[in-house]
Amino acid sequence: MLKPLPGGSMVQADSLFVNYDRTAVLWDVTFSVPPGVLLGIVGPNGAGKSTLLKTLLGLVRPLSGNVFLNTGKIGYVPQRETVDWDFPITVLEVVLMGRYPSLRWWQRIRAADREAALHALTQVGMAELADRQIGELSGGQQQKLFLARALVQQPDVFFLDEPFAGIDLAAEKDIVQLLKQLKNQGKTIVVVHHDLPTVSEYFDWVLLLNTRLIACGPVTEVFHAENLRKTYGKTSPLFEEAVGLSAKQQSGL
Amino acid sequence: MNPYSGVGFFEFFGVLLQRLFSGSSLVSDEVQLAVLCCSAVACGLVGPFVVLKKMALFANALSHTTLLGVACAFLLVGTTGGLLLGALVSALLTAAITELLGRVFRLSADASIGLVFSALFALGIVVVTVWLRNAHLGVEAVLGHADALQRSDLTLAVTLLGFNSVFVLVFHRQLALVAFDENLARTLGFSAVVWRVALFFLTALTCITAFRSVGVLVVLALLIGPYLTARLFCQRLGQLLLWTPVLGITACLIAVAASRSLLSTTGVPLSTAGILSVVIGLQFAVAATLKTLSTRRKICDTKIG
Amino acid sequence: MTLAEYFTDPILRAPSIGCMLMCMTAGVLGVVLFLQKKLLLSETVSHAAYPGALVGLIALALMGPEMEPYAFAAVLVGAFVFAWAGLKTVQFLENRFRIHADAALGFSLALFFGLGVLLTSWVQAVFPLWSNQAETLLFGQAATLTDGHLWVYGSLTAIVLTFVCLCFRPLQTLLFDRGSSAVERAVQLLLLLAIVVGIRSAGIILVAGMLIAPAVAARALARSLGPMFVWAAVFGGLSGFLGNVLTTHVRLPTGPAIVLVSTGFALLSLLVSPSRGVAFRFVRKYRFHLRCREENLLKELWKKGRMVRKGWVGFRLKQQGWVVRDGQWLHLTEDGKTKAAGIVRLHRLWELYLTEQLGVEAVRVHRSAEEMEHILTPELEERLTKVLANPEKDPHAQPIPPRRP
Repeated sequence: MLKPLPGGSMVQADSLFVNYDRTAVLWDVTFSVPPGVLLGIVGPNGAGKSTLLKTLLGLVRPLSGNVFLNTGKIGYVPQRETVDWDFPITVLEVVLMGRYPSLRWWQRIRAADREAALHALTQVGMAELADRQIGELSGGQQQKLFLARALVQQPDVFFLDEPFAGIDLAAEKDIVQLLKQLKNQGKTIVVVHHDLPTVSEYFDWVLLLNTRLIACGPVTEVFHAENLRKTYGKTSPLFEEAVGLSAKQQSGL
Repeated sequence: MNPYSGVGFFEFFGVLLQRLFSGSSLVSDEVQLAVLCCSAVACGLVGPFVVLKKMALFANALSHTTLLGVACAFLLVGTTGGLLLGALVSALLTAAITELLGRVFRLSADASIGLVFSALFALGIVVVTVWLRNAHLGVEAVLGHADALQRSDLTLAVTLLGFNSVFVLVFHRQLALVAFDENLARTLGFSAVVWRVALFFLTALTCITAFRSVGVLVVLALLIGPYLTARLFCQRLGQLLLWTPVLGITACLIAVAASRSLLSTTGVPLSTAGILSVVIGLQFAVAATLKTLSTRRKICDTKIG
Repeated sequence: MTLAEYFTDPILRAPSIGCMLMCMTAGVLGVVLFLQKKLLLSETVSHAAYPGALVGLIALALMGPEMEPYAFAAVLVGAFVFAWAGLKTVQFLENRFRIHADAALGFSLALFFGLGVLLTSWVQAVFPLWSNQAETLLFGQAATLTDGHLWVYGSLTAIVLTFVCLCFRPLQTLLFDRGSSAVERAVQLLLLLAIVVGIRSAGIILVAGMLIAPAVAARALARSLGPMFVWAAVFGGLSGFLGNVLTTHVRLPTGPAIVLVSTGFALLSLLVSPSRGVAFRFVRKYRFHLRCREENLLKELWKKGRMVRKGWVGFRLKQQGWVVRDGQWLHLTEDGKTKAAGIVRLHRLWELYLTEQLGVEAVRVHRSAEEMEHILTPELEERLTKVLANPEKDPHAQPIPPRRP
């Protein structure tokens, strides 16, 4: 699934179909994202946004279709609920996990790794919390922690799953600032976002999703009333029924 | 003449220390203590990962299904090596069938574990009763024979300890990563499947070897108990991997001494494995009480101060 | 040994009926636990009952050997108290110390059972006459049940079944939303009773299995809660009875025998259930793919007019009357032409729908239509025609075959 791309895009999906039991979660999703953009994925609840992200990362296998990423260096910032915050681990140790791929299995953590981890923590403004147990962090700090862990890998593409859900405004502003800085450095950033009013402010590209792709492109071109109506408006029941029937038949139910 | 016969609880330690420096060969009490301590440390190194990966009940199922493996191995091979192999095979079988039930039949985790362990354990009993005509093996598997341990058991326990220590020492990073955030592990290029299987394997090996000494259920106590106790006071995985075995050893010392002293005073030979379970429970209770008291005092202090 | 004898013979009837009743009760309660994903709670509770049962025996033993007939009652009471304590310990560990359910269940199980192991050794040393009773607790021994025991089993079954019938609505709410804690507590109480009573026949280690397997079997066959309870009761009762029959032929403890039978039922249901069973799903998937291949061949024939013989798929089409063989060529029959036109119609209607109604680009609609032409029902076709206002041409300017008269 990870193949180098001939064209100019950084992230490309080609006719992705993802089913879960009797429902189609992603239907014929095709799009292409150039490098160096800050892309927001928006859509109603249950539209398949998280699933799309996970399919792009290779965590979910599509029924058919392909994903192409023009790099092997990927940073993943998952939703905060996916982790057990009671785990006995410190902030620094979590960030260090991002360095594991560069270590051979017998190697210990080196001074250089610690340096890199501290540097990443400084970038998110949490260097003084390095020895805290992760359960003591606030929501915003937890999110920044995951971001630091992704930063330390020095990836070319970042994938963030609802990073602004349930965190305070100050932390949100900090993170947006950081993401914009990263974009200016040429990184590609893909964010699953849940808050429509902030889309034009935060992102330069947007992907509108409601099981099927409605549109993907620069915010100025694509983020308008017509497309929003198609994304958030009443979905065609005929389409849903037909596609649901297909999912059922294919799984033999 | 056993130097420990007739000693009371505290005298036990006196005799033990004396004999440690005298260099004489091990007597049964010491063999028992050594085997239990080795099992406790082996479990204490693996336990944290089992609990963190939410595999405790799976470990419970594993420890039941090893009966089937051991029984079949007895039937077909009959040597100690064969026993271990049989138990290992049954452990892997348990894991495979549970996964199958989860994936293909879409059963929830608790239903698959429950179905697998009860069916395989029942099969184990069938093999034991019908073919081996040794109904006692079933009971023994459950209760263990911690009071009849021999030198050979010690060799086994030490080997297990060695293997576990090396494995955890080398791979604790990867195990922690997969226990903490499996999705992240996969995006970093680690195979979650491989490490989950590795943890299964480690748990299975630990259960099997310890099962001969303490029986299937006390293995569970050794895997979970000391870790939960240590966790009350300690927040870092590295330190927990030190404290958990220490607590395990302490529990074993107390249990063996108590068993011996109760025998001396009342003349009743009680199950050391049972005593060990109770001691582990008391350890947790004491630690929990201390912790509650200390947090209460902190709250009071902050209120006053 | 005829079937009736299991119910009439004075020695056989108590074990047969007792096991049947016990497993029926367990199966019904198992459904509740299954849906709450708390099945393994039953295992912890049953193991926690072990020291309690022993305490009951020890209390009697201390009173003297003449108390032996009261062993059943003493075991019940002791087991109940400790099972309840086990349940409370799990809740305490989860709530007070934020220990995950998995670890809390495992720890409580091990601790209580370890205590039981300790007490067993005491009984074996001090009251050797009673140690046999202690051992049968582990694996169960239904063979020695008497008519007197049946009163207990019967009452419990009656209570549980009445409860489930009367409190069906509250149970539904509990399971699918957040029900009242009173119902939850009632279920827990009944669970404790069922397990404690079941220990006598199935033994401590495997009594949990009585709850799990019938619920799994029921799930595979039922679509809603009511039928699930019925199936679980049926499978439970059957397993209890047949397991007991098995023990009269093979020298097995009752627990394993019943578990094997009920697991057998569970596996069978999982495989063979018409709606959800794996076997049927497999068959349906295969048949769907076969149909797709046949329809694709029909479409090709419609476009090309004739084709070289196409092996097995072509043979099947000939059998069904859609094509006719002429030497080495295949042609469509009149019926075949109508059918093929129908499929092409669905294909092109769907393409038009995607481009016109959903704004999908024309180049991408073909692939989807290739899939959907096999799925669209006549009813959906009707709706598509209406929405698109009886169209004549598809997005690639090809004519859409008219509707079948």
